[in-house]
Amino acid sequence: MINWLNQHIQTLKLVISRMRNNMLSTFMICLVIGVAMCLPSLFYLAVDNLSKLTEHMQKDTEISLFLKVDINADAIKKLEQQLAKNQDIERFHLVTKEEAWQQLQLKSRNNQEVSDAVSQLGKNPLPDAFFIQAKSSDPDSLIQLKDTLQNLPNVELALLNTEWVKRLSSLLSLGKKLISMIAGLLAIVLLVIIGNTVRMQILTQKDEIEVSNLIGATRSFIRMPFLYAGALYGLFGGLMAVLMLIGIIQAFNLSMSQIAHLYSNDFSVTLFNAQLFLAVVMSAICIGWVGSYIAVSRAIANYRIN
Amino acid sequence: MIQFDKVTKRYPGSDEILKNISFNIDAGEFVFLTGHSGAGKSTLLKLIAATERPTSGTVLIANQNVSQLKPSAIPFLRRRFGLIFQDHKLLYDRNCFENVILPLHINGVSGQEAAKRVRAALDKVGLLNKEKAMPITLSGGEQQRLAIARAVVSRPSILLADEPTGNLDASYAADIMAIFYAFNQVGVTVIMSTHDALGMSAMQNRVMHINQGTLTEHLLKEPHLDQASSSAERFTS
Repeated sequence: MINWLNQHIQTLKLVISRMRNNMLSTFMICLVIGVAMCLPSLFYLAVDNLSKLTEHMQKDTEISLFLKVDINADAIKKLEQQLAKNQDIERFHLVTKEEAWQQLQLKSRNNQEVSDAVSQLGKNPLPDAFFIQAKSSDPDSLIQLKDTLQNLPNVELALLNTEWVKRLSSLLSLGKKLISMIAGLLAIVLLVIIGNTVRMQILTQKDEIEVSNLIGATRSFIRMPFLYAGALYGLFGGLMAVLMLIGIIQAFNLSMSQIAHLYSNDFSVTLFNAQLFLAVVMSAICIGWVGSYIAVSRAIANYRIN
Repeated sequence: MIQFDKVTKRYPGSDEILKNISFNIDAGEFVFLTGHSGAGKSTLLKLIAATERPTSGTVLIANQNVSQLKPSAIPFLRRRFGLIFQDHKLLYDRNCFENVILPLHINGVSGQEAAKRVRAALDKVGLLNKEKAMPITLSGGEQQRLAIARAVVSRPSILLADEPTGNLDASYAADIMAIFYAFNQVGVTVIMSTHDALGMSAMQNRVMHINQGTLTEHLLKEPHLDQASSSAERFTS
């Protein structure tokens, strides 16, 4: 056990000292990995924050509940109690037909044509209406709520402007699919890059593999330093990606705060997204390991005895 | 220890390098393998070291049939050998000490024990004072001695040397022969190929001569080995 541990420590030391001797090329490799990991992460961050933002906006989505024109005050009271009991409703307010009529007259005062039309109407054509905000912002549950409200007695029409909500959420889900595709492609690129790097290193250490093989090293012994190198490239590359991400988020937040100020909105991207950073580093390590495993296995296969 | 039975080796697209070879080498023997270059000496050594498999026939090493060994078992068979190559096959990116310690790491020996054994091996070949030197700074003879130290550090029972003196001048060659004889004295089986009779000393040694893929055996000092006396002179001078 101690021997086994010792062997791994020795190998790790060897790999690190080799990397230190080739500082520049090691840095370049890590940089490539870092940039390649950074791109899909940025994309992910963009879509993730956009969907948070739209959730925020969806909160403002209202269901308008127009009541029957000939409804009396008791029925409105009853309806009000029913709405108050509904668990899915965040809050609601009533706009009576008189209030609505006043508002219409007030708003149309500047527009000659509309105010003419309004005054020609003579009597108030508007119904009483509830404006309701749901707790959930999910389009499907909004539609469900709308249907329930539609079926209440004395309700003429429940209106929900879901089209844009639907469009936005389908766009976002498309964006998420796109991210996973791009991330997949970049993972392949990383595999190739790291595989190639390790292959180059194998070329420079061909003698070592050959000699080790001749003097009785097992395949796992020969593989070990290369696997460590691949995983370390992944680790450093992943950390570099995290640094780049932090830098980019910081810069983004800085310019965003100016814009957000204009819109009196305090939107910003969270700087330390531990989950994302961990995922970036871990996947970089995994990709590094797999890439070098493939490369070194191919190299060892050349020394098969025939 | 090493048994060849009707062994034939042919590489794809070539004639038979070795034809129907049978011999037996016992533990503790010192065997010279002679023949012109291209006669098949290296191939024979590769068959013993299990870096090649015979096309037909059986190779038994310590009663293990090499052809039937699983690939995963081959490394453990190779650890019984100390291999010395004509081109040394040293690793030039690390110093002498690190070169010699490699077989010990492969065998899972590390720490103080490994360091002690590396110094003992370097001492045996007279390179103890060069343990920190890089191999490239050593002379040809020193490099070959370093390769020998690496071959013997894990205390193999069989030493296989492929023309270890091929590129060296006579005095270096004599040094190296003396080292081999010393190992043989303590019971190590030595099999050494050489394209000339240099280094074959006055001692009675077994000589296996390969000519166009077939084997003829004889002892040294037989009349047709006319080079023997001159090389012995060179060795003793």
